[in-house]
Amino acid sequence: MSKIREIHNQLINQEISCLELIKSKLDVLKLNTHNTVNSLLETFALEAAAKVDAKIAKGEQIGLLEGIPFGVKDVFMVQGTYTTASSNLLKKYKSPYTATAIQKLLDAGAIPLVKENGDSFGHGSSSENTIFGAVKNAVNPTLVSGGSSGGSAVNVAKEYTVFSIGGDTGGSVRQPAGYNQVFGLKPTYGRISRFGLMAYASSTDCVGPIATSTEDIRIVLNAMSGKDVKDQTTYASEEITVANILNTEGVKTVGYFKNFITNEAIDASVKAAFLASIEKIKAKGIAVKELDFFESDTLVSTYYTLAMAETASNLSRLDGTNYGNRIEGDNLKDTYSITRSENFSEETKRRIVGGNQVLSQGFSDEIYLKGLQLRDQISKNFEKDFEQVDVILSPVTPQAPPKIGDSLKDPLAMYLSDAYTVGFSLGQLPTLTVPQGTETGLQITAAKNNDELVLKFANFLKDTI
Amino acid sequence: MSKMMTVDVLSSIKGAQHSEAVSKLFEVIKNANTTNSSSFNNQKQAVSLNDLREDVVVASSALEKQIIIENFPKEKNGFLVVAKVIEE
Repeated sequence: MSKIREIHNQLINQEISCLELIKSKLDVLKLNTHNTVNSLLETFALEAAAKVDAKIAKGEQIGLLEGIPFGVKDVFMVQGTYTTASSNLLKKYKSPYTATAIQKLLDAGAIPLVKENGDSFGHGSSSENTIFGAVKNAVNPTLVSGGSSGGSAVNVAKEYTVFSIGGDTGGSVRQPAGYNQVFGLKPTYGRISRFGLMAYASSTDCVGPIATSTEDIRIVLNAMSGKDVKDQTTYASEEITVANILNTEGVKTVGYFKNFITNEAIDASVKAAFLASIEKIKAKGIAVKELDFFESDTLVSTYYTLAMAETASNLSRLDGTNYGNRIEGDNLKDTYSITRSENFSEETKRRIVGGNQVLSQGFSDEIYLKGLQLRDQISKNFEKDFEQVDVILSPVTPQAPPKIGDSLKDPLAMYLSDAYTVGFSLGQLPTLTVPQGTETGLQITAAKNNDELVLKFANFLKDTI
Repeated sequence: MSKMMTVDVLSSIKGAQHSEAVSKLFEVIKNANTTNSSSFNNQKQAVSLNDLREDVVVASSALEKQIIIENFPKEKNGFLVVAKVIEE
């Protein structure tokens, strides 16, 4: 059931006013104890709601997204709002401009309510690495929300926002969507502009919607997609229609990576639930193929090697000179290093140092360049797979969400928990988490630019498992 | 460039050290098997060179300029203050 359509109908039938709707959402966001909020956009949201009500009162038509309240992960620029990346360094930084993806939603009339908490600069898989307090899971608040877009997933799951916009570099939309039992899409790389999204690892950074139905994901994806001159990696894409994703006949063959399921790291209940889902798909007459893939530790190591190298480069601009929480030292270099040492979290520092290590002489050939070669092989492997199967199905995570506090004690375990999401990021493929099939959901992946097929298969799964 | 630079200097982070967890990830890459590197071409160009944007200057809005100045960490008598640069 599409929440966007439900609210749209309530607005145009004047069953609710937009102002009442926005006030009620702001109220629950203010009172919430899950630490999802970095800042509220109250004044802007109330003014925008009043305009929508005035339009309806005059008998004017409103668009589907007009008046729909949404959340924005606090790594997106929204002009005049605090954009902190959940970090000390940028805790008082204001966006001078608005990200293209968010601007497109504003142009469609959607109303942003909140800048959402998550792991600082996207560095984490639990949303504990933040100055705003660990985000608590929507289903069980003693567990982590997942990350890095944890606040966004929890806000959607608790219905504080109708949809939220997260950023996914190695699983940061899909994994928290799975942990909080909602839908989360990482579109094909380049389908949505990254302009105005704070860069973590530019070659895999994606803007992704989180919502409670495939229809809402489709609506928001269509609104944000398209070529943007401000992000040269974007491409023009066609609108995905309702009719096309409701016709579920396009999928004949499904694949899954057998080493994901035979890996000793997978929890027995996740494995059993996944294999039960596969049996139900087979029972519908769909052919299922086991596929060979890279070992989890190779995928995780390749992803983190490249992501750390890219983040070391991207975050080198954060030195307190032009913006950020500058801490003065004895001279310029001292000012840089004190500012960065005092303001970055331990996890961010670990990634920057790791990135500079692999980019330095003596390490780049045997680690960074080899990582690029492995990525190339992973992409080729996917091309070969999609000659045999239409979609690839996989669990989202090997385990259930950990307790709050556990991930911070063991960073290596946290990196390895991303084993099932990072490969699809390296392949730049469209992947959707659906809250079905295992305790933390399933991922549906298709070939590059085939985001439509992912949504179509999600509709098929809804009635199958 | 004969001078060795340590990771704390490279990263501008005081006292930065290699992490054991991260080193374990790098070990996996060192020991991984890669096929012939002649296929290593896919990721060399992030964008098509035939479809680059127009090389024109687009002025920022007055509001954008005002926020950029507001974000500057230190101001004195109407000037933006930075640390002394010519010093070594």
